[in-house]
Amino acid sequence: MLEPVMFTGGLYKHDLVVELVEDLGGYILQRNLTQTEIILLILVPSEDLAVLQALAKELRGELVRAPLAGTEVAVVTPTLAIHHLPHTACDIAEYLRRHGSKTNMLGLARGVGREIAQINEYETALINEHDAAVFIFGNFQECIKKKESLYRNISVPVVVTGGPEIEAKELPYAFEYVPAIGRVAHRARKATEIGTLDRIVESVGRALDKTRSSIAKDPLTTSPPRVMDSVREQVPDVQFSYSPLPIALNLTGVRVKLPYSAFKDAVKAVTFDEGVKLGEIATIKPSRMKDYILVRILSASETGFVF
Amino acid sequence: MDPMEVFKIEVTGQEEFGAKKYRELIMDILQDLGLIRSIGRLYVYVDIHKPFFAVYGLLRSGIPPLTVKDVGDVLRVAGGYQVKINDEEHMADLLRALWERYGRERVEQPARDIVIIASDTSPSELMVADLEAEFLQDLTDALVRVAPEGFRNRRNIMTKDSFFFIAAEESLTPVMVSEIKGKIREMENA
Repeated sequence: MLEPVMFTGGLYKHDLVVELVEDLGGYILQRNLTQTEIILLILVPSEDLAVLQALAKELRGELVRAPLAGTEVAVVTPTLAIHHLPHTACDIAEYLRRHGSKTNMLGLARGVGREIAQINEYETALINEHDAAVFIFGNFQECIKKKESLYRNISVPVVVTGGPEIEAKELPYAFEYVPAIGRVAHRARKATEIGTLDRIVESVGRALDKTRSSIAKDPLTTSPPRVMDSVREQVPDVQFSYSPLPIALNLTGVRVKLPYSAFKDAVKAVTFDEGVKLGEIATIKPSRMKDYILVRILSASETGFVF
Repeated sequence: MDPMEVFKIEVTGQEEFGAKKYRELIMDILQDLGLIRSIGRLYVYVDIHKPFFAVYGLLRSGIPPLTVKDVGDVLRVAGGYQVKINDEEHMADLLRALWERYGRERVEQPARDIVIIASDTSPSELMVADLEAEFLQDLTDALVRVAPEGFRNRRNIMTKDSFFFIAAEESLTPVMVSEIKGKIREMENA
């Protein structure tokens, strides 16, 4: 089993970490370079974690577990206006990122109000491309209950956050409800506020675990990190993508950030060592996000094999 | 402790948490915009079932307009007057006011904080900025920020010493406005 970890350390000799991970059969998911510091999101076989820990210690780096690594979470606010941003939404998104998740912030076009709140088909489909969603609501329980219509049709687990305490049975369509973080006009800095952010991360972690366990019942033909590695090798144009993360990982596939019409055939033609083509074991379709390519790996029950 | 003399907030239904949080939120926003000291009393009434959001506030005594002598020291010098700027925040407003009154050719700025005006009349009483108008503008901005976002039917009545702001999802009717006014009056007298 692959263990998701985050390495933070100096730029000097960080290539030793990269080489070790590759030798161990792990994957580098993301590489963030900030002047002389580097942050690597890594998947490493759990039995070899001690070797990586020893190297990190030798390089005076820090290696922490990143439970959300390799997942994409949507942080949804009713709009992108000053009422919801920057404090609550950015704090939650940033906190999820620190735990390894790839976070996208999404403001609905008409999500405001109590009676008039709406979500459209495009927004729903875009949220469904993620592995989980966090909906950020306000301070009045009446409104939070009423706004259930916004996430009722979303098929990924939805963690709802808001101010007041509300019993779980009153929000049947939410995966979990995390109270004590409604609309606020200051940054989260008190211990209680940071504690609430921790609870959101735990809740998202549980939501992802639920998805992982349902995938385990009918495993994917191959793992998304392996697809990511092969696409990176065989579609070299991906390294010229302006996006900070040219291939985003999901639990069930990847999103390749290249124009769909120009590169779909190249992505389909990606071949694995076993001789199988990506187009045979995955559906390649246009993503709702810009003009990207969405790769969804088929499960073993559909292809009849796992490699 | 609240810097205001009175700050009451009332929300219908079982929304004690919402009322408490909105109190914090209003304080945060008023503090951010530097308005809190100019408001004496504040009454907030929210009906989440209708739904609408109303704020009634009484302002502290009016703010006098900012003049040249408030932003710097005015000295008589050979050939005119010199203004030594102490408060650079209003520099742009000051220059604009001086240019308008004396013309650009008679206003000279030899150093960052020195302005020399070639004129026989003292500029000390010249108005640099109408702080009251700025304050009312900031107050409207604050009220729009405080009100829940979807409440886009708004009415804002501002007088010299008070303001009354209503925001609702549905169209505002005279009946609704008078009902809200009655509620606020009850809160005032309670």
